[in-house]
Amino acid sequence: MTLSRRSLMAGAGALAGATALNGPAATPALAQGAPLNVGFILIGPVGDFGWSTMHDQGRRRMLEVLGNRVTATQVESVAPPDFDRVATQLVRTGARLIFTTSFSYFAPTQRIAPQHPNVMWESATGTATGPNLAIYNARFYEGRYVQGVIAARKSRSKTIGYVASFPVPEVIHAINTVMRGAWSVDPQMRIRVVWVNAWFNPGREADAARALMDQGCDVICQHTDSPAPLQLAEQRGNVFGFGQASDMTRFAPRAHLTSSVNNWGDYYAERARLLLEGNWRPADTWGGLGSGMFRLAPFTNMTPEEVSEATRIRDALAAGTLHPFDGPIFRQDGTQVIAAGQRLTDDQIRAMNYFYQGIDVAMP
Amino acid sequence: MTLLEAILLTIITASTPLLIAAIGELVVERAGVLNLGVEGMMIMGAAAGIAAAITTGNSGLGVLAAVLAGMALAAVFAFLTLGLATNQVAAGLALSIFGLGLSGVVGAPFVGVQRAGIGKIEIPFLSEIPFLGPVLFAQDPFVYASFALVVGVSWFLWRSRAGLVLRACGENHASAHALGYPVLRIRLYAVLFGGACAGLAGAYLSLAYTPFWTSGMTGGRGWIALAIVVFASWLPWRAAIGAYLFGGITILQLHAQGAGVPLPSQLLSALPYLITILVLVLIMRLRRGGAAAPAALGTPFVPDR
Repeated sequence: MTLSRRSLMAGAGALAGATALNGPAATPALAQGAPLNVGFILIGPVGDFGWSTMHDQGRRRMLEVLGNRVTATQVESVAPPDFDRVATQLVRTGARLIFTTSFSYFAPTQRIAPQHPNVMWESATGTATGPNLAIYNARFYEGRYVQGVIAARKSRSKTIGYVASFPVPEVIHAINTVMRGAWSVDPQMRIRVVWVNAWFNPGREADAARALMDQGCDVICQHTDSPAPLQLAEQRGNVFGFGQASDMTRFAPRAHLTSSVNNWGDYYAERARLLLEGNWRPADTWGGLGSGMFRLAPFTNMTPEEVSEATRIRDALAAGTLHPFDGPIFRQDGTQVIAAGQRLTDDQIRAMNYFYQGIDVAMP
Repeated sequence: MTLLEAILLTIITASTPLLIAAIGELVVERAGVLNLGVEGMMIMGAAAGIAAAITTGNSGLGVLAAVLAGMALAAVFAFLTLGLATNQVAAGLALSIFGLGLSGVVGAPFVGVQRAGIGKIEIPFLSEIPFLGPVLFAQDPFVYASFALVVGVSWFLWRSRAGLVLRACGENHASAHALGYPVLRIRLYAVLFGGACAGLAGAYLSLAYTPFWTSGMTGGRGWIALAIVVFASWLPWRAAIGAYLFGGITILQLHAQGAGVPLPSQLLSALPYLITILVLVLIMRLRRGGAAAPAALGTPFVPDR
């Protein structure tokens, strides 16, 4: 190893900064009785109230469940270009299981995993497994379907505003599912989409939500992580919104309808336990409402009838009796994807790159 | 309220933090000092502002704390570049990085605290003027402060003796010194004023625009403010045009997306930056080269060496 590589690593170590780096050099096999060092790489700040906050809580839950059998090292706000350095540094300081918690990290994780065969990698929202690479995600689209139903009941202008992050399949199929849910109530429902090209940028998210509200959207869905759009809905007074990743009721007590609340902790604890016992396998986990990987926060600002309808649909989704990707499904241009009676496969959902017919928004 | 009014209203609020910070930096650069630490001072203002506002429960004290925090960071910069005559570019960049880091520490206890933003003040009579009223005179206090800053700084720089002396320090500090003006003290005041403005812009973000704290919430606005100063060729009213142009295109591209304009969103997001570059090129072409920068910009001054 050259000196310059070493100094680069030192840089990564400095980046890790406030988080405590435990353990000396990595040993090929886990010594008997030594705690398992689990690494976490987060895309945003721990305090984003959303995606990264919930991964941090998952880490805490894992420590709570497994006690002194595990230690954890977490690096937050890692930009994708810094990923390799941070990941290598985690490996060097003894991490044997590393959770890379963003879709932006999937390709780099896939590239770096074969270089460290003794380390197990888990990529959130990834799309393919490897010999030492597992992927995990939650079926957030089930929550989006419920959002669509509620939005259709709440909207007077019949227009939903969607603050979207990046045009990737995860976001695209979420937009489609919101529409599917809304159309199940009222086929007249329409959607406007603004891409802010960021997962977390409070100012820009607020600007986008403001633009959507000024154009007449009175229910805002967001696929970005800050509470800014919801807060703005609260200020406007006659606009409703949904929280993302964590229960955001307190940011908008009068505008909040429900939030998707992520829960990674039990999964993290389970995966670490499997590795400790030597039973870890590269799995592809995609848990829905029924799995407990996420739940819906209590419904607020809704009439009792609206609450009971939303509850009924949520429970049907969790039980698997209602499926948002049942056919027939048509693309925007009218071509049929699947016929009635069929259902999209998980891979088809994960690769979705088209809007449904009836959505009159251009795909960027 | 019509859509056009709503759009204009949003453009003004989105442009205000850029304008406030740019006006501060403009005065600093007119005095011959290049402070690249605007982003750092701005986010320190945002952090200190919300910290003080939550602790005391008073938004006014929050704004005051933000201004003082910006000035404190500017004082550090002044000590380095004026006191020790260090390289201004390096010190400014260090200040930005330092501010981003320190603000995270200051703001950490306030992550997730919910707080009502500073509301809008409708000026009686004026806000009832059709069209212009709701856009210009039903804004939050920061917007009025930004209007006042543009007018005040413009008057100060070109209509007052002190402004003339300040500009002289920026054009030729040796001559200003020879005439008996305290170059370093004048520059110190200018740098502190720049820090105060950056802090105020930060307070706008964390107390009015998106009223909560999160690290890195300035999102690069300090750098845009620096670009606007160059764009404005160091003239306050042009800085206002630059800030509103940049804010305007940012907001309009979001509206264009919402209205379903069939252009790639990535291109639309890049539009504010592209147009800024384009206008800069046009201005330079029209002037046939030759920047309008203060002649002594970025050069350290050491008296009587």
